[in-house]
Amino acid sequence: MQNKLSFHQSSVSLEIIGLPDYSNNENKDQISIISQWKLIIIDKPLIEGKIEHLGPIMNAFYIYSNLLIKNEIPIYESKLIDIKADNLHIHNIVLKSSKPNVKPLVLKIGNSLLTDTINCFDQLNESPKVRIKKTDIPTNIPKKLRFGLNKKDKFFNFFIPPLIAICSLILFSSSFIYFYSPFENIQKKELINPE
Amino acid sequence: MLILETIDLNGIQSLYSISNRLNLNYVLPNKVTIWKLRNNNPLRKSYLNNDIKLEEFDALVKITVELSRYLYPYIREILKSKEDIEENSVIWNDFNRRFIELIKERFNLESMRVKKVLNQTENDEIIIKSLLTLSFCISNKGYQKLKNFLFDF
Repeated sequence: MQNKLSFHQSSVSLEIIGLPDYSNNENKDQISIISQWKLIIIDKPLIEGKIEHLGPIMNAFYIYSNLLIKNEIPIYESKLIDIKADNLHIHNIVLKSSKPNVKPLVLKIGNSLLTDTINCFDQLNESPKVRIKKTDIPTNIPKKLRFGLNKKDKFFNFFIPPLIAICSLILFSSSFIYFYSPFENIQKKELINPE
Repeated sequence: MLILETIDLNGIQSLYSISNRLNLNYVLPNKVTIWKLRNNNPLRKSYLNNDIKLEEFDALVKITVELSRYLYPYIREILKSKEDIEENSVIWNDFNRRFIELIKERFNLESMRVKKVLNQTENDEIIIKSLLTLSFCISNKGYQKLKNFLFDF
């Protein structure tokens, strides 16, 4: 008999079906070996897949939500899922099947459904009854995007302040420079010793 | 916090009640302390540089997350109202109007950043991103999430 756990948030539900790992002395109601998962969004097609797809899909949503708050044009692309913003309110999700000749599933969700989905994933991540590879939310920005984010700003922030400091130091100290003039020195000596 | 206060008309009382319930009285003993800490925001008319301590910052983040959790259904409805603005604009318009009223009442209108918030074209984006940030942080670990968002801001 398999265990089934559901996580709900307004219009979104996430169902996790699986078994406890008895070899690890786990409780009966624990799920460590996930056999199936379903993401049910009201008025949208059902999303389900293999266990190895759940982690990347959760990551995609987390990364996208981070980019949405920080970036002006949030885009997430991978072999499994693409998420792009149509505008600030509508998000375009393309789920690509790993099976050949299966058309990708395209969904359009608004901010309300996006927040519900993220909150369902949070509940799963925090549930003590399900053991999955936990998602580390804020640092999971793909390399491609990580280098693109504020690249210019970081470059300028790194080089411009020391450059300005050196320039201002040179300018300031140049006003105190004393140029040694040998002729002036001789004249002075002559004035002191007129002979 | 101003976003939450826009939704909850009795916002300051709610923040204080939550701080009591979370046993944060030793950091936030009364409403005046909360008000003083909020005045660390340089955009406010009554800006005071109080050198906010880490535990005070943490307490403010905790009560913000807790209030966001309570107000999530309302936050969600506001976001939804903006999604289909042609069919259901009342909630968004009411929220937007009250938010601008609060900004005009409490913020320094000479500041360029405040002017940006009051600008109609940029105002929508700022409000939506703030609402999204709050709604992403309602889980049990929302406190840590909101802190990360704020440090990254």
